Amino acid sequence: MLKLDAITVQFGGLTALKGVSLAIGAEEVVGLVGPNGAGKTTLFNVISGLARPSGGEVFFNRDNVLKAPMYKRARMGIGRTFQIPQPMHELTVRQNLLVAQRFGTGKVNLEKIEEILTFLHLEGKADRDAAQDLSLSELKALEVGKALATDPQLLLLDEVLAGLETASKRAFMKTLTELHQKYRISILIIEHDIETISSLCRRVCVLNYGQLIADGTPQEVFSNPEVIKSYTGGGA
Amino acid sequence: MKLQRLIMVLILLYGVVPFVLNGNNYVMSILVASLTIAGIALAWALLGNLGGMVSFGHAAFFGVGSYISALMTMKLGVPVPLAMLLGGIGAAVASIAVLPALRLSGPYFALAILAYAHIFKILATEFASITGGSGGLLGIPALPTLFGYNLGSKLGAYLIITTIVLVFAFIYSRIRNSYYGFALRAMHDSEDATRVVGVHSTLLKALMLFLSAFMTGIIGAFNAHYINFLEPDYAFQSGWTMLPVVAAIFGGYRTLTGPLVGAVVVYSVDQLILKSIIPSGHQIVLGALLGVMILFSPDGLMPLLGKKLGRRRAETVRTPQTETIC
Repeated sequence: MLKLDAITVQFGGLTALKGVSLAIGAEEVVGLVGPNGAGKTTLFNVISGLARPSGGEVFFNRDNVLKAPMYKRARMGIGRTFQIPQPMHELTVRQNLLVAQRFGTGKVNLEKIEEILTFLHLEGKADRDAAQDLSLSELKALEVGKALATDPQLLLLDEVLAGLETASKRAFMKTLTELHQKYRISILIIEHDIETISSLCRRVCVLNYGQLIADGTPQEVFSNPEVIKSYTGGGA
Repeated sequence: MKLQRLIMVLILLYGVVPFVLNGNNYVMSILVASLTIAGIALAWALLGNLGGMVSFGHAAFFGVGSYISALMTMKLGVPVPLAMLLGGIGAAVASIAVLPALRLSGPYFALAILAYAHIFKILATEFASITGGSGGLLGIPALPTLFGYNLGSKLGAYLIITTIVLVFAFIYSRIRNSYYGFALRAMHDSEDATRVVGVHSTLLKALMLFLSAFMTGIIGAFNAHYINFLEPDYAFQSGWTMLPVVAAIFGGYRTLTGPLVGAVVVYSVDQLILKSIIPSGHQIVLGALLGVMILFSPDGLMPLLGKKLGRRRAETVRTPQTETIC
């Protein structure tokens, strides 16, 4: 479904990603981990079209989407959330989802919107101001909801569990598991917590200093000496 | 309730105002001028509120619309209503030159479009063989006669500009409450938040620019046939930008009625009251009023009135309950 071929991103003299190659299959749930500044969000930006790499190719469903702008990739089926939730201001929760659905899929399906609201436990806040009346966990749920409303085939979740208290985190993890079972979409998730990522994903990729240093099952990856070294402060 | 309010406004605009003020040419001229500014203010607010762009260059669209319409009627004999429409289309086409500036935001866009307005003023002056140069165009055909009624009269012009402004307000309202309007409003705070769900933000902004330019061009065309004279210093003067901006901000540019009420209040107060008290430099008071409004109600007059009336209504509703309890 998604294939990244030797992605390199440079910001001035800084290399944020260096020759990263990665493939994600249909309905796969993959964790993306790494220390701060490893290039995880930059990789999401490249996949979603927010950042243009200085080298490499991005294939989605075998099409080279490197030159496709962000809005086109969303319409193709690449949905994403942001680390800091970005609700659409001045709109209610329901209107946020409706805009996402209308522009992401080209049509409006009110039943699907209600289904997403219920699934994400946002039905009680559907007519509230999205930017002002939601808690952090509700804002994170709205981020997922907006992406879901675009009917994605691949969902990029950027630290969607970060900042949540333990109970909310557990509930959200359960929702994510159900989401995968219900909608059968591929998920690439950035998460710092090793325990969380191990329980959500069967496959984990590790970035460090912009390079992919490990790719395998959680057991394989988290026992990899290079990964342990990257987490305990050693460089690549 | 909304329908009742709309009917009342229509009765006021098409019945009461013409009945009460017809015959008073001075007040009718001021009313026509204030509605002209209201039309530009609405077009400006559409670009600012929905497109998220602050323009200091609407005088360019006004000038282009007025010149195209005037030249179409004078040189090619095009009927005035069609020429006015072509004036609007011409202004929208002229706005294509601003498209590269859409990559800019905030003050950078404002400055780019200001420079653009100056370029058009220079073009209108230099292409003297077509535009009449700095000498301008005299004898521009007046607004036509319809069913024996002269629309070029003060009352006729009032009825036309009122209709144009109401049609624009209707279009603005429809867009504002559509999915496009939702997406456009959401773009203000984060364009990425909309692009990530499939919104082609640049296209939407460009469409708002075209529409805003079209509306302003139509108003410019109306004005050309109303005053029957044009020169570059008049048609492209900064006043066609600044007065609508002041009016829209004063009234509340994020509301539909704000720019309209703001224009009528600001221009009428200035011309009917301030000008007679301070004949020279009366605009200073307007500046001070705008400053006070921004300080005490940054959202403008209409949201302020809305809050006050809302509070009063709430108090009115509460009062009988309190009395019953007592």
